[in-house]
Amino acid sequence: MAQNIIIPHVSRIEGHAKIAIHLNDAGEVDSAQLHVTQVRGFEKFTEGRPYYEMPSITARICGICPVSHLLASSKACDAIMAVRIPPAAKLLRELLHCAQFVQSHALSFFHLSAPDLLLGMDSDPAERNILGVLEQHPELARDGIALRKFGQLAIERLAGERVHPAWVVPGGVHAPLRSDLRDAILGELPIARSIVRRTLQMFKGVLDGFKAEIDSFDNEPTAYAGLVTRENSMHWYDGAVAFIDENGAPLARFEDPGEYSNYIGEAAVPFSYLKAPYFIPRGYPAGIYRVGPLARLNVAETCGTPLADAELAEYRQRAGHPAQSAFYFHYARLIEALRGVERMEMLLQHPDILSTHIRARAQVNCLEGTGIIEAPRGLLIHHYQVNEAGAIVKANLIVATGHNNLAMNHAVEQVAKRFVKGAKIEEGMLNRVSAVVRAFDPCLSCSTHALGQPALQIDLLSPQGELLDRVAN
Amino acid sequence: MKPDKHRPTVGIFKFASCDGCQLTLLDCEDDLLAVAGAVDIRYFPEASRNIGKGPFDIAFVEGSITTHHDADRIQQIRRQARILIALGACATAGGIQALRNWHDSGEYVRQVYAKPDYISTLKTSTPVAEHVPIDYELRGCPVQKTHFLEIVCALLTGRRPQLPSASLCIECKRKGNTCLLVASSEPCLGPATQAGCGAICPAMGRACYGCFGPHENANAPALAKRFREDGMSEPDLQRAFRTYNAWAWQFRKASEEVET
Repeated sequence: MAQNIIIPHVSRIEGHAKIAIHLNDAGEVDSAQLHVTQVRGFEKFTEGRPYYEMPSITARICGICPVSHLLASSKACDAIMAVRIPPAAKLLRELLHCAQFVQSHALSFFHLSAPDLLLGMDSDPAERNILGVLEQHPELARDGIALRKFGQLAIERLAGERVHPAWVVPGGVHAPLRSDLRDAILGELPIARSIVRRTLQMFKGVLDGFKAEIDSFDNEPTAYAGLVTRENSMHWYDGAVAFIDENGAPLARFEDPGEYSNYIGEAAVPFSYLKAPYFIPRGYPAGIYRVGPLARLNVAETCGTPLADAELAEYRQRAGHPAQSAFYFHYARLIEALRGVERMEMLLQHPDILSTHIRARAQVNCLEGTGIIEAPRGLLIHHYQVNEAGAIVKANLIVATGHNNLAMNHAVEQVAKRFVKGAKIEEGMLNRVSAVVRAFDPCLSCSTHALGQPALQIDLLSPQGELLDRVAN
Repeated sequence: MKPDKHRPTVGIFKFASCDGCQLTLLDCEDDLLAVAGAVDIRYFPEASRNIGKGPFDIAFVEGSITTHHDADRIQQIRRQARILIALGACATAGGIQALRNWHDSGEYVRQVYAKPDYISTLKTSTPVAEHVPIDYELRGCPVQKTHFLEIVCALLTGRRPQLPSASLCIECKRKGNTCLLVASSEPCLGPATQAGCGAICPAMGRACYGCFGPHENANAPALAKRFREDGMSEPDLQRAFRTYNAWAWQFRKASEEVET
């Protein structure tokens, strides 16, 4: 008898998702899909609002990486005002962004994924959480809490608060950095750096124990996309969008963010409201690509900081180039956390960082503006059209979890085929399917920005197309 | 954590929201360890795969009610919870997504989805208190972690939580901020907004935009009158009150009185 297995809440991802696994008559996995069950309507209700309100409003899309939306939105607004923001403002925005990378990657690795990695995929679910890690690996859990705190505290010092700060504005930032706060962040930095370094050592030590996951986590080769500098070094705040193919060869590159729609198409998929972006020259669905830590380390030649570049060289020996298994998202995330800490130090020591020239002021000078940044989970695009008065006529947002939508569905199916056999549900099987989704670190608050909450309905069809079963919430 | 009958059981539930308030709880960092030791966290999908069963001594609810399923689920949670606390602007006032309450939601759905028949959304995004009685609310977009710790400590020791109830102006006065409304006619929502954030924006020279929602005795229409006298247009006036707490009745009243 064919049947469905539904994991109603993928826990330890931010937001809500459901997974449906379809079994065929032989009791084998036929297909599996990730459904995101909630959307909120930002593109619609921002119509008519002045463009300069957009950073604060879109920050509310996501409480995990509000800084990403603040920055992408502010960059789109800079383009609408047609201003080049002061150098210090650019440094301060990037500094805030790096602090966010550190806290967000710490949350993903220590709080959300470490329970699987350290306690084992098959351990008791009641214990498999950050508190369980705290009992069994207290030093590591304390390191995780301390690293996240370092990032969040830096954000609070720069921007006044940790979630939804009002400090980033169109044209720059609202207030300069005080020297005592710079010194405070610099003073905490060595501890953060040593936490990331020892966590990397620990992770490399346990990596060999996850051979099955490395082989079965989504390892189907795809194209990748990420932001790079002119020298092909990784950049999170600014740069050209580069696409590479599954062998690492360049596919496309564009400097002007407004060109994104020539390369990235958005397909509506029948089983989910979440749109599926694809690389236009390859068509849909062949234009599948991935973004995020794994993609960034594949696309860029260097990280641009000494310690992270040394780790990157070792990473490439272990994972190959380009690295394909989604399991390496975790490894890549730790290397990026190291780059974030190093980059923060470089920015804090920059001679212009305390400058009081931090904001350019202008009216509407362009009726269209696009801002692209690397959010911790991957490329984030904010594209606005405004009228002469500066009111939003149309807003389009493409979030990292959207870019990865096609790849995540592939990944869920691949893992399900390997670990789910027969109708018997064992905890380990279900958790591995959930864990592969967590490897992408999908931010479902972001991807639910569109509207309402669709009722989830799963239909089970026989090979002849006859309805065998229906499950609805 | 193993269950312990002497520790109060806690559930943390999410509806339509950005997760920022739940993550503010994780931001308690060092305090997290102490809090986690003092309570038995039975339901917290953000942090754990463990989905425990009620009843709960304390239920924290983040997010607004936007679907039929949500409306049923909040009833179930209320039945299982001794104390129910609404967490943040979505749960206390419907959140930013309540902006759709003034639009035709059917039009939204048709515009965004290829197959609208799969969508089961309510016409409005509403606060928890419109569906079930609540015991406390923590304001803010997002909530302040100090308020969260205060309410947990108060409940653990059996005293009344001490949370701000005055207007934001009190916090500006304490900080010695120059009044943006009086000195530079900036459209500051502070006089109608509940204190609690520490007046972050006015301290940076930015007018308050009402993250904590209206305070109990807020006279939003009087503030609207002042904005009008300072030359604010009617559509701008309406937008000023329609942000993260747009559906809170005082702000709603002020924005609906505007002629556009």
